[in-house]
Amino acid sequence: MRDRRRCIDMRLRRGRRLAAALATSGLLFGTAACGSGSGSARAGDPNTLEVWTRSDPDSAQTYKRVFAAFTEKTGIKIDYQPVMNFDQQLQSRASTKDLPDVMINDTALMGSYQGQGLLKPVTPASIAGHGEITAKSWSSTVGRDGRHYGIPYSRQAMTLFVRKDWREKLGLPQPKTWQDTLALAKAFATRDPDGDGKRDTYGMVVPGSAQNGYVAWWGASWLWQGGVRIVEKEGTGYRPAMDSAAALRTVTWMKDNLFCGDNGVIQPSALTSVTANTTNFQDGNAGMYLTGPYNISTFDKALGKATYEVLPAPAGPAGNDVLADGENIYFGARTGKAKQEQALAAFLISPEGQTLAMTGDHQPVVRIPVNSTLDAAKVRGDARWSVVQKAYEDDSQQFPNAPDWAPIKQDTADSLNALFTYCGSDVKAGLKELNDTLAGDLKDQDLLK
Amino acid sequence: MTATVTTPGPRRARVLRKKAVLGKKAVLPWLFLAPGLLLALVFKFLPMGKGVWLSFFDVRPFLGDQWVGLDNYTRVLTDHRFQDAIGHTLVLGIGMSLGGIVAGFLLALLLEGQARSLKIIRTAVFLPVVTATAVVGEMWRLMYYPTSDGLINSGLGLLGLGPVPYLDNPDTALWATMAMGIWMLAPYNMVIILAGLAGVDRSLYEAAAMDGVSLWQRLRHITLPAIRPALGIVLTLAAIRGLRVFTEVYVLTGGGPAGSTDVWMTRAYTLGFSRNDIGGASAASVLLLCVTLLLTVTVNYFRKRGDVR
Repeated sequence: MRDRRRCIDMRLRRGRRLAAALATSGLLFGTAACGSGSGSARAGDPNTLEVWTRSDPDSAQTYKRVFAAFTEKTGIKIDYQPVMNFDQQLQSRASTKDLPDVMINDTALMGSYQGQGLLKPVTPASIAGHGEITAKSWSSTVGRDGRHYGIPYSRQAMTLFVRKDWREKLGLPQPKTWQDTLALAKAFATRDPDGDGKRDTYGMVVPGSAQNGYVAWWGASWLWQGGVRIVEKEGTGYRPAMDSAAALRTVTWMKDNLFCGDNGVIQPSALTSVTANTTNFQDGNAGMYLTGPYNISTFDKALGKATYEVLPAPAGPAGNDVLADGENIYFGARTGKAKQEQALAAFLISPEGQTLAMTGDHQPVVRIPVNSTLDAAKVRGDARWSVVQKAYEDDSQQFPNAPDWAPIKQDTADSLNALFTYCGSDVKAGLKELNDTLAGDLKDQDLLK
Repeated sequence: MTATVTTPGPRRARVLRKKAVLGKKAVLPWLFLAPGLLLALVFKFLPMGKGVWLSFFDVRPFLGDQWVGLDNYTRVLTDHRFQDAIGHTLVLGIGMSLGGIVAGFLLALLLEGQARSLKIIRTAVFLPVVTATAVVGEMWRLMYYPTSDGLINSGLGLLGLGPVPYLDNPDTALWATMAMGIWMLAPYNMVIILAGLAGVDRSLYEAAAMDGVSLWQRLRHITLPAIRPALGIVLTLAAIRGLRVFTEVYVLTGGGPAGSTDVWMTRAYTLGFSRNDIGGASAASVLLLCVTLLLTVTVNYFRKRGDVR
């Protein structure tokens, strides 16, 4: 998801809104460049692995470097396909019963892929160096039947990006709680932090559209901080948990203070924004953004390192947990090249493979290394990454990995977007309805307890 | 067949030759049509058939699809979000089609003529049609930007009117989408109507002018009857295109806020690709196909009846 977003981010990054025509005609070329070739499987050659990643051309350059190092080391060739519309392409390959050997894609898709029978189970012990991945990371690849269906590859957690120059100019402290954040957002919106004499700045950037479930992705950190879980594990199944008192309290707070509060606390187009067109932070007219660290390189280029800071998410009533996600390495079902696949996975999680993927001139594809012998800040020589690593290790929650998460995320997003849109809406009734819908989703997967 | 007449011979031979010639004649057109038909078969009819087929299954390509009969259809039709989406589709489809026809007609009346300046303006007006919808959507999104930075809102600002959150207010989002749709559709209709206008008998206008008719009477009794075939085509196209609106909505609002612009196809897309429910998405698409087919046939029926009369 992130790479797709970044690809669109890159296409749409722009300084001036009125330069629309140029930016949008660029979109066409960007689309072509980010598209992918068809999957030409060299299935016959046992010494060639077909590998798919969801990557834009820039990230693909990093992957190419990693795979070249692997081929040099082992002699196993890689037929590499960076694919942007990954799931559509994968569905069409699945219908021909010929999957790529190895895929690198979002953690949250594991349940969906496993449910469709697309993945081969993985025995951690069969991967050299498996001990260097923490138990927490390994636990995130356990499927419904208790077996592992992926190998952790890259992890990340959300952090709060704040315009340091603005904050210092207004003489306000770093936000530690929701209340601090709200006060800072209001100050950014009303006290003209960019000093141009106009009220044209916003407190916080929110990708609040229900499209592709964005508002659930962004809002998950706030839910965790309010002590909410979307679904809760119970025995061998799950039960929906969006009708809890904590959920009512948290969603009401978000609605009243962020979406229906004072003007300018969030950017005005929040309800229809996805990350690709949520560029207010890098355009320099919004002061905060709770988002993933993949943005660091973008913001460095657009704003400059000195102008903003990377902070742990401010705490809500139940702590400051944020959403963690990342990418896993998946083995396609029925591909019959187990040895070579395991060798590739071992290389990708090794200190050498992870370091290669975190460095270089192009967009890094490993954010927080899963290899516990590495330190993201040290490898990159950038202390800001230790904030992200600490958030991931100490204060983060993933979406549950066993269920097919796609419908649950989409339904949660539809419901939250509707509640935030209608300021007079009945939150309690809305959440009750969402809870019933989620129960239906879990029932469809035979997971409802 | 003429050969059989000019070269008389034994009856049997004549019949044989006639058969051969007939056979050749029957095969030839098909041969010429074959490449096109083959392409249509592979890229249109087979996928369409597959879509219909999949709509009866719980689609799991790697585990084997499961026959569920009409389950997908009942699920889609009883889903209240889908029902809402159908409502939005109808409002948007009818509004865009009629708006596009009226605007196209007005444009055609304004821009009819041979002058060079008119040609340039016509080309400029036609540009939205040749621009990719995704690009148009992104442009309008920026124009609708809900602060004084947005083009339309900065214009309103000059008049002292406050910024309007066109796309972020569920009460206005659908109308804002419709306005963009009309902007895209009208020039295309304009061209068809212009062609119709070119065929209007000028002497009728002259006679009307001598009789001293008003502008409205001239439009009502001369222009409109004369361009009825052109309007028929425009209406048929509108019936085909009206309900399958997708890109405009997907780029502009993604169906939001609060599902207030969700239409048939965005709902089907969400089902298929966000929720991995290919069977449900296929059922939704098949339903749309049926409704569109019905609508097109109906419009054509009334058009033909009108022509006969």
